[in-house]
Amino acid sequence: MRGSYPPDPGAQHPMLDARLHLLDRQVIDVDGEPVTAVDDVELSGPPDPRHLSPDDPAPAVTGLLSGVTLGTRIFGGRSPRSRLHSIDWRAVSDVGVTIVLHIRAGQLEIGWTERWVRDRIIAKIPGGRHDPE
Amino acid sequence: MKRILGLALGILTAIGGFLDIGDIVTNGVVGSRFGLSLGWVVVLGVIGICIFAHMSGKVAAVSGRATFEIIRERLGPRLAVANLGASFFINLMTVTAEIGGIALALQLASSVTYLAWVPLAALAAWLVVWRVKFDLLENVTGLLGLTLIVFAVALFLLGPNWSELGAQVLQHGALAQEKLSTYLYYAVALFGAAMTPYEVFFFSSGAVEEGWTAKDLGQSRINVLVGFPLGGVLSLAIAGCAAVVLLPEAITVTSLSQVALPVAAAGGKIALAVVIVGFVAATFGATLETTLSGGYTLAQFFGWSWGKFRRPVHAARFHLTMIICLLIGIGVMMTGVDPVQVTEFSVVFSAIALPLTYLPILIVANDPEYMGQHVNGRGLSAVGLVYLVIILIVSLAAIPLMIITGAGQ
Repeated sequence: MRGSYPPDPGAQHPMLDARLHLLDRQVIDVDGEPVTAVDDVELSGPPDPRHLSPDDPAPAVTGLLSGVTLGTRIFGGRSPRSRLHSIDWRAVSDVGVTIVLHIRAGQLEIGWTERWVRDRIIAKIPGGRHDPE
Repeated sequence: MKRILGLALGILTAIGGFLDIGDIVTNGVVGSRFGLSLGWVVVLGVIGICIFAHMSGKVAAVSGRATFEIIRERLGPRLAVANLGASFFINLMTVTAEIGGIALALQLASSVTYLAWVPLAALAAWLVVWRVKFDLLENVTGLLGLTLIVFAVALFLLGPNWSELGAQVLQHGALAQEKLSTYLYYAVALFGAAMTPYEVFFFSSGAVEEGWTAKDLGQSRINVLVGFPLGGVLSLAIAGCAAVVLLPEAITVTSLSQVALPVAAAGGKIALAVVIVGFVAATFGATLETTLSGGYTLAQFFGWSWGKFRRPVHAARFHLTMIICLLIGIGVMMTGVDPVQVTEFSVVFSAIALPLTYLPILIVANDPEYMGQHVNGRGLSAVGLVYLVIILIVSLAAIPLMIITGAGQ
């Protein structure tokens, strides 16, 4: 995992453990809105999986996944790639107690269930668009 | 001056917020069957909830993370899903019991069957959760719940034989007519009533709602350390009233009206009116807290946007979850199940599930990476570990005791 994110020499733990620091962490967008919890992590594969060579680059984290992966992490197997939503690793600006993005949740495909519930149900109930009093 | 007022308000709401239908019913039942011989369990439970709430408030204030985010992060998906299932189910049971409690209290006031009040009570709770600001919601219900002090007043008015009551406190064991297993079963129930997990979900999420930082820790510590024990004193007063009036007559509490009986006997109609206001306020407040806790647990587990400080459209799935919780609560109550029995089961199941929420908080509160200089000191770590053992014993003993005693029959 070392070197897979911008190294921070001042940090107490320059080493990032995917299990401990990425999986199941809360993802927050640039406005501080919660986006999702990290259900799984996407790694880059070798250029040619049939012919591995010692010169291949080490796998690096390419994205944070959300979706039906939780089921497969518990029961095994693999869900089709089309059913996973990925947040590009380049959108990540900080990894701490939470994972912070430098983009808005609205720009991500991940937000569709929240948008669906909001537009079809919550926004239609009177008072749903107002601040609490 | 403003600080002192804020502190007083915090303490008062902690007292009022401590009592809910579980505490009211369980203390009434226990008082009428065992006198004050289980008083030590209330003390044990109150110390436990103080430690638990203090640690989870501290974690929330320092890291900005509420309890269930941490549970998933620390336990991994398998255990956390099991934990979510259990916690959400027990919380749903508590929502149902609290709605039933409001309806029963309103039945006492109006003589209209509680079934008619169930949908209205849930609708009122939803309107508050939907539209009212967090601090207003917390303060008003907490302050109204303080009317339950009438139990302490009634106990004095009843003029009991104090030395006899004192002897009951010291008598660690069942009275002659009850079996030891039943005594222990109600000890578990009483412990679960004092240390209900939703209180912690609500407390830690509330700290995030109100934007606590490490600076607010002092105030939160005082709120908890003063407010909860005083709430525990009211619990004991409820049990004491039942012990003085109902125990000698061999009346076993099976309904909310019987819990109020000693107060009516001591203070007449006015005291009864105050008790009913207190019942409504305490159960209504707890309905709000448990409904919010249902939304908090699910949203925090899945990483959804949550919180009363956001407009409902900015926390859509959180609000949808709460609406569904209330609808399920109405549905279950309308089948005609006895609200008092639902309550009794909900407190025992709370005790069973307690280690699941306690352990992750204990781990994180001891983790310097998370907590920095606010990490648990040696004393708190030690007490926290002792309570982990107690909670595990209670949790493991609960189901066998439930089977042996036929759920306390």
